[in-house]
Amino acid sequence: MTLWLAIPVSILLVAGSTFSVLAALGLLRLPDVYTRMHAASKAGTVGSGLLLMAAGLGSQDPAILVRAFAGFIFFILTAPVSAHLLARAAHLAQVPLTKASVRDDYGRDANGDRLK
Amino acid sequence: MTRLVVLLLFTLVWAAITGSFTALNLGFGLVLSGLALFLIRENVQPSGIAIRPLKVVALILLFLRELALSAFKVAVLVTRPKMNLKPGIFAFPLRVNRDFEITLLANLITLTPGTLSVDVSDDRRFLYVHALDCADAEAAIRDIADGFEAKILEAFR
Amino acid sequence: MTAGDQILQAAIWFALIALPIAFLMTVIRVIRGPSLPDRVVALDMLVAIAIGFIAVIALKTGFHLYIDIAMALGLVGFLATIAFARFLLTTAGKVKAGTPKPGVEKSGKVKRRSVTGRKRR
Repeated sequence: MTLWLAIPVSILLVAGSTFSVLAALGLLRLPDVYTRMHAASKAGTVGSGLLLMAAGLGSQDPAILVRAFAGFIFFILTAPVSAHLLARAAHLAQVPLTKASVRDDYGRDANGDRLK
Repeated sequence: MTRLVVLLLFTLVWAAITGSFTALNLGFGLVLSGLALFLIRENVQPSGIAIRPLKVVALILLFLRELALSAFKVAVLVTRPKMNLKPGIFAFPLRVNRDFEITLLANLITLTPGTLSVDVSDDRRFLYVHALDCADAEAAIRDIADGFEAKILEAFR
Repeated sequence: MTAGDQILQAAIWFALIALPIAFLMTVIRVIRGPSLPDRVVALDMLVAIAIGFIAVIALKTGFHLYIDIAMALGLVGFLATIAFARFLLTTAGKVKAGTPKPGVEKSGKVKRRSVTGRKRR
């Protein structure tokens, strides 16, 4: 592999795996399920997406690169959907917010008045 | 008109996934896309959505920047020895009112720094957003309203 | 072996060491819970890490078919998470989703905790 292809592929690899590790670290350290979802849905998606792009770029085949890119787009589209569904399910299952939480407007309007 | 765009989009996605842009494969993709759209014909209503392509591109660019920023911010946050979190759920008053606009806004909010959409109120007036830093919810509401929501209104109205 | 190959090999080894660490940390979260949604989030993350790992393996071995496998795994993982979320929603009113240390989390400063959950669909 030429140097000019190896460098971007290596950068993508290192960045992707670093994001994955940090997302996992966030999953471990953050205090409640909602904050953990932030780590998993953002850093996790970007991490695996970057690794996929690295594999696509490293294949030196445009067809595979386009396919890897389509996979990346697919992850970006699906990550918020599953995060939203899980957050909603967790709240309806009455999983408590962390002690540090400052407000919970769920089921209320902007002034904190309950909607019926 | 919108259906034709969707059909062509599906065909392009098919060609991208299979990795070949020959005329034969594009034709096959067209047939498959038509079949897929035919199967869901009763579940989609023709909608009078006006799309402004340039504004959509601007929206996508803004989104990509925010996505990179958000992954970076979460990554930095978890490496700090002492995380100073003030999480919470705030109600975001919606200006957009059509289903696909709310969906788009909710997805964009989820992938931006520190916010994650949880639910829409039954009357569709509020979007409930979980934020990592909820100390100043009013500022967060203003950011979303002036950023993504304004851009969506520009792109699809 | 050219300089490019050496850089690439170093990056691949970095990823091959970092990803299992991420995998292990996520597994710890799956085990510790404390509630079912926590575990589902962690399982979702496990799938994401596995996808990344498969992509690295594709790069290392040169079998680019692995990329298609990674994408298929992404599809299945998404559907599994959706199914889990639906399951949590349907059981939300009947079964308690988790028992994370009663008393500790309750006494927090959380204003206006929602109790409307059960009334909704």
